[in-house]
Amino acid sequence: MSHEDHSELLLPFDGPNPSRRSFLHLVGFGLASAAFSGCSRGPVQHAIAALDASPEFVPGRVYWIASTCRACEAGCGVLAKCRDGRPIKLEGTPGHPVSGGGLCPSGQASILSLYDSKRFDGPQRGGERASWEQADRELGAALDGLRRSGGRVRLLTGTINGPSTRAAIARFLDGFRDARHVTYDGLSASALLDAHGRVLGRRILPRLRFELAKTIVSFDADFLSTWISPVEFTAGYTKGRSLEGAAPRMSKHVQLEARTSLTGCRADERVRLAPWETGPALAGLCDLLERRAGGAGRCAGAADVAPQRELLERLAGELWGSSGASLVVAGSDDVDVQVLASYANHLLGNYGTTLDVERPSLQRMGDDRALSELAEELAAGRVDALVVQGVNPAYDLAGRLPIERAKLLVSCAAAPDETSARATWVCPEPHFLEAWDDAEPFAGTFALTQPTVPLLRAGRTLRELLARWSGDAREDRELLRETWRQELFPRQSAEADFDAFFDRALHEGYQRLDGAAEAPGPFRADAIDAAARAQGSVQGPKAGALALIAYPKAGMLDGRNAHNPWLHELPDPVTKITWDNYACLSAATAARLDLEEGDVVRLAPSGGDGGEAALPVHIQRGQHDGVVAVALGYGRAGTDRFTKVGPEWVDARETVAPGGTVGASVAGLAVAAGCVRRFAGSDVTVTATGESVELASTQDYHSLSLPEHLAIDGHEVREVVFSTTFDAWREDPGAGVHRHPVPAGDLWPEDHESDTTWGMTIDLARCTGCSACVLGCQAENNVPVVGRDEVRRHREMSWLRIDRYFQGDDDDLRTLHQPMLCQHCDHAPCEAVCPVLATVHSEGGLNQQVYNRCVGTRYCANTCPYKVRRFNWFDYARPDEMQNHSLNPDVTVRSRGVMEKCSFCVQRIQEARSEAKREGREVRDGDVTPACQQSCPAQAIAFGNLRDPGSRVAELAATPRAYSVLEELNVQPSVRYLTHVHNGRPDSGGGEDHGH
Amino acid sequence: MDTEASIHVAEPPLLGGNKTCAEVTRDVAAPLEGKPTGMWWVAFLAAVTVLALGVWSVWYQIATGIGTWGLNRTVGWGFDITNFVFWVGIGHAGTLISAVLLLFRQKWRTSINRSAEAMTIFAVICAGLYPVIHMGRPWLAYWVFPYPNFRGPLWVNWRSALLWDVFAIGTYFTISLVFWYVGLVPDLATLRDRARGLRKKVLGFFSLGWDGSARTWSRYEMACVLLASLATPLVVSVHSVVSTDFATSVVPGWHTTVLPPYFVIGAVFSGFAMVLMLMLIARRVMRFEHYITWGHIHAMCKILVFTGSIVGLAYATELFVAWYSGSPYEQFAFANRIFGPVGWSYAIMVLCNVVAPQLLWSRKVRNSIGWIFTITVLVNVGMWFERFVIIATSLQRDYLPSAWSGYAPTLVEIGALAGGFGLFFTLFLLFCRFLPMLSMFELKTVVRGETGHAPHAESEERRVA
Repeated sequence: MSHEDHSELLLPFDGPNPSRRSFLHLVGFGLASAAFSGCSRGPVQHAIAALDASPEFVPGRVYWIASTCRACEAGCGVLAKCRDGRPIKLEGTPGHPVSGGGLCPSGQASILSLYDSKRFDGPQRGGERASWEQADRELGAALDGLRRSGGRVRLLTGTINGPSTRAAIARFLDGFRDARHVTYDGLSASALLDAHGRVLGRRILPRLRFELAKTIVSFDADFLSTWISPVEFTAGYTKGRSLEGAAPRMSKHVQLEARTSLTGCRADERVRLAPWETGPALAGLCDLLERRAGGAGRCAGAADVAPQRELLERLAGELWGSSGASLVVAGSDDVDVQVLASYANHLLGNYGTTLDVERPSLQRMGDDRALSELAEELAAGRVDALVVQGVNPAYDLAGRLPIERAKLLVSCAAAPDETSARATWVCPEPHFLEAWDDAEPFAGTFALTQPTVPLLRAGRTLRELLARWSGDAREDRELLRETWRQELFPRQSAEADFDAFFDRALHEGYQRLDGAAEAPGPFRADAIDAAARAQGSVQGPKAGALALIAYPKAGMLDGRNAHNPWLHELPDPVTKITWDNYACLSAATAARLDLEEGDVVRLAPSGGDGGEAALPVHIQRGQHDGVVAVALGYGRAGTDRFTKVGPEWVDARETVAPGGTVGASVAGLAVAAGCVRRFAGSDVTVTATGESVELASTQDYHSLSLPEHLAIDGHEVREVVFSTTFDAWREDPGAGVHRHPVPAGDLWPEDHESDTTWGMTIDLARCTGCSACVLGCQAENNVPVVGRDEVRRHREMSWLRIDRYFQGDDDDLRTLHQPMLCQHCDHAPCEAVCPVLATVHSEGGLNQQVYNRCVGTRYCANTCPYKVRRFNWFDYARPDEMQNHSLNPDVTVRSRGVMEKCSFCVQRIQEARSEAKREGREVRDGDVTPACQQSCPAQAIAFGNLRDPGSRVAELAATPRAYSVLEELNVQPSVRYLTHVHNGRPDSGGGEDHGH
Repeated sequence: MDTEASIHVAEPPLLGGNKTCAEVTRDVAAPLEGKPTGMWWVAFLAAVTVLALGVWSVWYQIATGIGTWGLNRTVGWGFDITNFVFWVGIGHAGTLISAVLLLFRQKWRTSINRSAEAMTIFAVICAGLYPVIHMGRPWLAYWVFPYPNFRGPLWVNWRSALLWDVFAIGTYFTISLVFWYVGLVPDLATLRDRARGLRKKVLGFFSLGWDGSARTWSRYEMACVLLASLATPLVVSVHSVVSTDFATSVVPGWHTTVLPPYFVIGAVFSGFAMVLMLMLIARRVMRFEHYITWGHIHAMCKILVFTGSIVGLAYATELFVAWYSGSPYEQFAFANRIFGPVGWSYAIMVLCNVVAPQLLWSRKVRNSIGWIFTITVLVNVGMWFERFVIIATSLQRDYLPSAWSGYAPTLVEIGALAGGFGLFFTLFLLFCRFLPMLSMFELKTVVRGETGHAPHAESEERRVA
C-alpha cells in the first residue's frame, strides 16, 4: 500500500472537538495504522502513546459495536467487529427484532464499500473539489435566497424512516414557502402502499409475519431474496417450517411466477404464471374465496376466466382452511393487483394476524405517483432547488426524471454516480459505518446506527446537512440525540435518565417503544370493484414481443452495490452466473427465436420509445415462455473500474472493457414517460445481434440427473441431496435418506485421541440458497476477487459455494440447494496424497491446510470428492488498496501457488479456546460460530463439538434426517446434511428416480 | 572354419554389409569426428527453437502462476502430468532393451541399445521437469525430499504416491545414467585412441583409464550384469509407482487396481514405438542401414504388435472392471470417457494404440518404412492421449455434478508440451553428434567377418521373411 493512502486515512477528522468516543476511535485507528504502516512517515498529529490509551482499548483485541445496517432499507441489526480501530466484519445481531441474527449478502459486503477509495472526500462543486465551508457559504446563501423569494425546493430521497432525519427534513422544509419531500425506492413497493391506501385508507406497508402463516401463496414476490426485507422474511419463513421442538410444523408455500426466482425455487409448489395473468388469477382466487365466505361477489365470475383454474380451486381450499393463518403476497407494481391481494388477505381474515397493520413496516415508503408529479414540475422548469439523497434517479429512472432542469441540483451521493455527475453540488454522505443514524423499520421499533471508525472521507449526513442549511450548526450526534431526547425518551418509562436510555439503545442497537399503534380502519371493499374490473381488460404482450421482467439480483439490488466487487462475484443464487446481467429466456422461447446461451440480443421497447439494451441470453429453466427477465442494477457508470480486477497475463480477458460497464441497464425499458415504472410487463422485442459471449458461471451442469446418454440404468441420479415430504417425515424421520453401509473398522489406528471433533450440520429444509453465508465467508476469510475471466475459467476462490440443482421440467421445476464446503473428512483423501504434509488432521478433527508448507501439487484438489479446494492460480492483486483494510488480520492472505479451503473458521475456534482458557473453563457449545453460520438468516447451519453429546450439532447429527454426502466413499465427513423436508407433492426432490 | 560358418549361416546375420571390426569403428566414429552435416544443423536448430519456446513458456508460467495453464478448480492436472507420465513411459524401452535383453542374451539388441539407453535418460530428464514445473511454488520443490532440516523438522508424507514417484524416478534416472555411462566407457576409450589434442584429454578423462586388458573386460562384464540386474526390476516398478498416483486416489477412473500392469505395458509399448521411430530416422540420416537392419525393424514391429495387443486387453479389462464393480461412479466415469464431451480423445487413443499396431500383421505394411514410421508416430500420439484421457477426462466429471467442468489447454501449456519434445530432440541430437550412437565394442561381437552374404541379398531375404 502506498504511503499516500495512509495519510488520507489518518487525517480524516474534521470535527472541531472530538467526542470521547470519536477520540478513542482515533487513538485506535492511529495506533493500528502506525503499526501496519511500518517505516512510513508517522501520523505525528495523532500519535498518542499507548500508555495513555483507554483501558477499553487493547491493540489486536476485537471489540464489537452494535449498529444498524443501512445497505438497504430493511434495517437489520449488525454487530461491527472492530480491531485496532477499524471495522473488519459485519455480523447479524442475534435476536434483533428485524433480522433475528442473520445478515444478507449486501449487508455483509457493505464493509467493503466503507473502504472504497472512490468515495468523495468532501464536497464537489461542478466536478471540482470544494471545502465544506465553501459549500455551507454558497449553498446556504442560495437556499436563503430561495427562502426569501419563495422558490420551490424539492428533496428527493429513498425511504427515510429514521426519526432524527425526518425531524431534520421537517425543520428544513418548514423554512420554505414551497418545499416538498418526494420519496421513491429503487426497488419500489409503491403499489403495495397505494393498495393499502385504497383499501385501508392509510398508505401503509403491513408487516408480514411469515412465521404465523400456515399457507403462503406468493405471486411473483421474491420475499426470500430481495423483496422488501428478505432477512426478516427468511427468518420468519423458516420459523414457520421448523422441524425441531415438540410441535414440528411446516407451512405450505405456493409460488406463481413468471421468472424463476429464488423464492420460487424454495416453494413447495411452483407454477409458471405470466405477469399479465397475475391479476386475473388473483381476481379468480378472490372470487373463489368470496364463494367460500358466502359474501357479496365483487369478483364474481373472475374464477371462470382465470388462468390455472384448477390450481386456484385447490389454493382457495387450502387458504380457506388456514384462514387467519395464511398469507397472499404479490410482488406486482400494479396497484390493482395489490388491491386484489389485500382483498384475498381480507377475505381470509389475515389482517391483524399475518399482516400487522397496527405496527406496520416502514421499510418502504416510496411513492411513485409523487415521482410523476415531480417529473412534471421539473420538466416545466418549476423546481429551483433539488436535493437528491439515497437514490440515483439519473440511473434508476433512465433520464425520465429531468433532474438537470432543476436550477440548483445537489447530490448527496457518497461516491460518483450518474446523478452526482449532473449535480451542481455534491455534498457526500458518509458510509453508515462511520456515521450516526437511526431508523424505524416497524412502527415503534427504533434502531440506531453508530460510527465504528472516524470519517474516512469527509462526508456529512443528510441530517447534518439540512440542519446546517437551516442554521443549526450542531454536531450530527447531538442532532440525533436531540430527537431521541424529545420524541422517543418520553415514550418509555424504563429509564429515568436520558443518557442511560440512549446508552442502552446504543448498546443493544435498537429500542422497542410502546404507543404509536393504530387500529386499522375498516376494509373498504368498494375499492375492489375497480381493481377486479380492470383485470378483464388485461392483455399479454403484442405479437412478436415478450414481457420484460426487471428483477433485482441478490446483492446487486437496484444497482447501489454496483461498485462492490464481492457482490459482482457472488453467483446469482438461481443462475449461478457472476459479473453480468443477462436476458433470461425459457428454453422454448430461446429455441423459437433461434438463440443459444451467450448469444447477445438487443432488447428494445415494443412500439414505444425508451432505452435499448444489448445483453447475452441465459436459458433459464422454469421460466415462463412469454417473458424475458433481466436483472436491474447493472450498466452502472464507473464500473469500468473493474477493468483490472483479476490477474493480468497474456491470455487474460478484462472483466469489463475500459469505458464500458459491467452488464447493461434495463431501466430505460422499465420506466415509461412520466416516470411510470413497470418492473414486470413492459413489452420488448428481442433480436439477435449475431454476437456471442461466454457468461461466467460457477456451475456448468445444473441437475443431479446424469446426462441421459451417459447414465447407467438404476443410477440416473446422483444421490447427494435427499428430500422428502413433511408427511413422510412425520411417519418416518429418516424418510428419503438412502444410506450406504460402510465397513466398520479403520486400516489406520486412531492416532489422535481427543474429546473434540468439530463438526457442522446443514439443514437443507431451512437453507433457502440466499448466499449470505458465501459472502460472510468471503469477508471473514479474506477470499480474493478473481474477476470475470477467471470465474469463466472455473477458478472462483469461494470456500463455500451453494450447489443448485434443477430437477423436473419447466412446468414442474424442483430446485435443490446444497451449501458445499470442506467436509473436514476424518478419512480425508486429500491428507493422504500431499507429498509434503501440507494438509493434515488436527486433534480437533479439522482438516487443516498449512499454506506455508504447500508446494502446490494440486493432488489434494484432484482427489477431493467434493471439489471444495481452491488453488491460488495467481497472486490476486486487490486493485483498490484501501479495501485491504477490510482484511481479517487473523486470517493469512494466501499467496500464489498454494491451496486453500474452508478452515471451519479455525481462527474463531482458536479465539474461543483462548478465551475459555483465560477464564479457566472448557469451550462451551455455542462459543464458536463460523462466519457462515453467523450470517445465515434461516439458521440452517449448526456448528460445534460432535463428541459433546449435549451440543446442538451432536443432537442434530444424531437425528435420522442427518446424512453425509457421498457416505459410501467412507471418507467420514464432519459435515452432515439434514434432509430437505418440504410440503410439496411426494415425488418431488432429487433422489426420487433412484432405482434401488 | 567352414563348419563354424555353416553354423552361422543357419542363423540370420545380425548386421548387413559384411562389416569388419575396423569398418564398424570407422562407421560409428565417422559422424563424431567430422563436421556436422547440414541435415544435423537443420534438425538441431529446429529442436533448439522448440526448446526455446518451451523455456519461454515455462519461464512465463513460473513467473506468473499456474493460472497461465488451462487448469481449473475441478481439473487440477492436465498437460503437465500427462507429459510427465508420457515421458516416463517413453524411457521404459531403453531399460528393457539394455537390461532385460542383455540378461536374456539377445544379441540383436547391440545395434540399438546405446541409443535406447540415451533415449531413456533424455526421456526421464523431460519427465522429471513436469512434476517440478507443475508445482504452484516450484522453487520449493526440494521440500519433497526427506532431507534433515531445522524447521520442525518438517518431514515428507510417506503415504503420498507423489513421494513414491520422487524415489521411483530418482532411482530410475540414477541407475539408467550409471548403466549407460558404464556401457560407454569402452567406446570412449576407442574414440580416445583415435583422437588428438584436447579431445583426447577429455575422452581420456571420461574413459576412466580403460586399457582393454582382459582384467578390465572381465570387471566390465561383471559390472554390466550387476547393473542390468538392478535395472531390470525398475522396468516394472517405475511405471507401477507412477500409476499409483492415480490408483491410490478416490477419483473414479483412477481408482483401479489394473493400473500398474496397464501402465507398465503401455510404457514398454510407447517406448518401443519411440525407439523404432528414432532408429528409422538415424538409420537414414546417419547411414546406419547395415547396423540397424530389417531384422531389427521386424523384431521391434513384433514387439509393437504384442504390446499393443496387451494394451488393448488392458483397455478392455478396465471397462470390464468398471462394469463389474457395480460402482455407479466408476461406470459413469467410463461412459463419460467414451461418450462424454471429450470422447474424441478416447477414440484417438483406441485407434492409435489398439488398431494402428495391428496393421503390422500385414507383410506389406511391415516391409514399408513409411508405414512403420507412421505407425510409430501414431502410437506415440495415442499413448500421449491415453494419459490425457485418464487424467483430464476423469477429473472433469467426478462425484458432484455441480463441480463438473471442462478443460482446454492454453498456449503456454502447449508451449510446455512442445518444449519437452524440444529438449528431448536437442539432447538426442547432441548425443548423436558427440557420443557413439551404436555400441562399437558390442557390435564387434556380432560381426560376421567373411560370410558370403551380400548386403543386398540379405536385405531382400528379410523383406520376404
